[in-house]
Amino acid sequence: MGKAALHRVPWRGIILFLLPVCILYFLFFVYPLGFVFIIGCTQWNGVTAPQFIGLKNYIDLLQDPTFLLSVRNNFIWALSLGFGQIPLAALVAMILARKPRGWKFLRTMYFLPNVISQVAISMMWIAIYNAEYGALNKLLELMGYAQLARNWLGQIETALPAIILQQVLYIGYFMIIILAGAMAIPSSFYEAAEIDGASVVQQELYITLPLLRGILVTSMTLAMAYGLRHFEATFLMTAGGPANSTSVMGIQLFNNMSFLRYGRANAIGSALIVLGVLVIVVLRNTLGRSESISEVQQ
Amino acid sequence: MKRRGTFLLVAALVLSMAGVLFAGGAKEQKEIVLNFPSFWVGQDSKAGPVAELITKFNADNAGKIKIVVEENPSPDPYRTKINASLAAGAVPDLFIFNPDPTSFQYYDGEILMDFTEELKGEWAKDFQEGYIQASTKKGRTKTVPYEIGITPIWYNSELFKKAGISEFPKTFDEFWVACDKLKAAGIVPTSQMTGGVNAWTSMLWYSHILASIGGPDVWNRPLTHPQYVEAAKILLRLYSDGNTTKDAVGGDAGVSGGHYLAGRTAIFINGPWYIGRAKKDAPAVHAATQLAFAPAVKGGTYGGLIGFQLSNLAAANTKDQAKREATLKFFRWMTKPENVKMISERSGAMFALKYQLGDNVDPLLKRFVEISNQAKFIVPHFQSQYPVHVTQELGQAIGAMVLGKATPEEFVQFLIRANK
Repeated sequence: MGKAALHRVPWRGIILFLLPVCILYFLFFVYPLGFVFIIGCTQWNGVTAPQFIGLKNYIDLLQDPTFLLSVRNNFIWALSLGFGQIPLAALVAMILARKPRGWKFLRTMYFLPNVISQVAISMMWIAIYNAEYGALNKLLELMGYAQLARNWLGQIETALPAIILQQVLYIGYFMIIILAGAMAIPSSFYEAAEIDGASVVQQELYITLPLLRGILVTSMTLAMAYGLRHFEATFLMTAGGPANSTSVMGIQLFNNMSFLRYGRANAIGSALIVLGVLVIVVLRNTLGRSESISEVQQ
Repeated sequence: MKRRGTFLLVAALVLSMAGVLFAGGAKEQKEIVLNFPSFWVGQDSKAGPVAELITKFNADNAGKIKIVVEENPSPDPYRTKINASLAAGAVPDLFIFNPDPTSFQYYDGEILMDFTEELKGEWAKDFQEGYIQASTKKGRTKTVPYEIGITPIWYNSELFKKAGISEFPKTFDEFWVACDKLKAAGIVPTSQMTGGVNAWTSMLWYSHILASIGGPDVWNRPLTHPQYVEAAKILLRLYSDGNTTKDAVGGDAGVSGGHYLAGRTAIFINGPWYIGRAKKDAPAVHAATQLAFAPAVKGGTYGGLIGFQLSNLAAANTKDQAKREATLKFFRWMTKPENVKMISERSGAMFALKYQLGDNVDPLLKRFVEISNQAKFIVPHFQSQYPVHVTQELGQAIGAMVLGKATPEEFVQFLIRANK
């Protein structure tokens, strides 16, 4: 067999194997994406034929204070999850990775909320935050801080932080991912550090965190992407109120669909996609990649 | 001989195939299945009687027509689902239509079955005056008027007695005095809410106040008319000085109704469909509930009511005549005065059809009928006058006004902006 034959690229095979994926990708991603952008340039109520109106929907969105507030809230969500939930998950994962007593039980407990429906969780938090009979206000009263009791979900100053806080606390999903990474770090690294006199905090700072950087960046990306497309908890707990102060782009999109304003809804969908891509690109370029464990071992 | 044998064989084959085809055709004609996604299921007060009627209809038409109910227990998600289905062109065979300005846009397409001709004939005589007309747009009646509602003020007479109030106030001046007496007795005067898709209880209060200011012509005035600001000022006071619960801002229908049923608030607004729920979950409150007209504003009218079409019956347009006939047969069955009377007596719901209630009906339902007959005028609510996005903004705008982020004038500006 000649050298040329060995290096000949098997194009037919490559195309054959890639074709099904490409077709599916086109049908279920590229085509709907194009549809979203095109319908975003129309006025359409879902009944009569769409009317092309150019960029009017997008211009209207930029002039709509509720939409701009929703974009701001989505960024607050993304930052809170990326820089609040992930560090918290990492901290708990690093503690559990040292296998303290009852670590398996705690691991299960932290993960448990992830298998419970968001509806049930939101209903529970609505009850906790309720101004009349909520557990939080009762607790504050018992502790002698009755003056702090309030309608947590009904005041502009507290509604958004209240929803975000309940979400940030559910660290189980990312904690499991980070824990798996932390437990894959060879114990010899820590033994060597211990012999060199490194404290536990130093070991975590200089061994665990650098080696987990890739997982942490991925987790942050996922968490922030979730923050940008966040919908469920806000919809269930405040539906964007009071006075639209907790509104997010997902709610604006949903409302416009309910109002049969499909053109505007798709314009919001397009904005959501563009912002999501931008944030992910910026995040990946800023935080970069990390060294893997095998690279460190070499 | 061989040719004859072949001929017989072919003939036998053709006959047997024709038999199979005809049998199949007969089977297709045998039973028409109509899917009916419905929220008149589960905890809904009409669930039992409606299910009985459908079971009876299916039994009477066994082998010919079958109604299959798809349970969707909550009205708001139901409407979202139906809207999504309609926009996708996947119209359910039968469904409950929400007769508001947004949903009436569906009349523009060809997706809904047209009942214009049928509702001009004998069938029309079964309906109360005005409802077919209200369901007719551009000369076409594409939904069948069904459930209606009036929403007078509900008040707990036991709590009023406890506060030393003998009758429901007729003016807002008297009303504020009554509120002070209730508060002094440790009772929260009114249930309110800014949540849900339409801030239902507060939207009804706002409609009542506007009706008192504007009378029967209230909705002929644009949003720029001063009546909207004047009504907003009264609505704001309903939220102030402890006149409602602390969780009213952000609260939904469960919060608003829940406080009234729990006896925490003394005044509430809702329609007759809520009677069943009150009777079942709070029999003492149900027994103590009396109905009244909303208090009149200074210089306004007393004795007006808010009344509207709550749900119409709708179906997918079809070229299949048999399916159309089956749909009509089912809708005629559901709108038969004796069937509607049965649902009404058992659930408390009211209908756009002519029927006489029996003597053994719920006393609260009787009061609904009485107050409806005593009303000087009945006008629809705010929600039925404006697209859904304006009503949705109403809840947010009330929140902003109550939390001090908007004046009553700015509150109305929110609505004007949403209506553009």
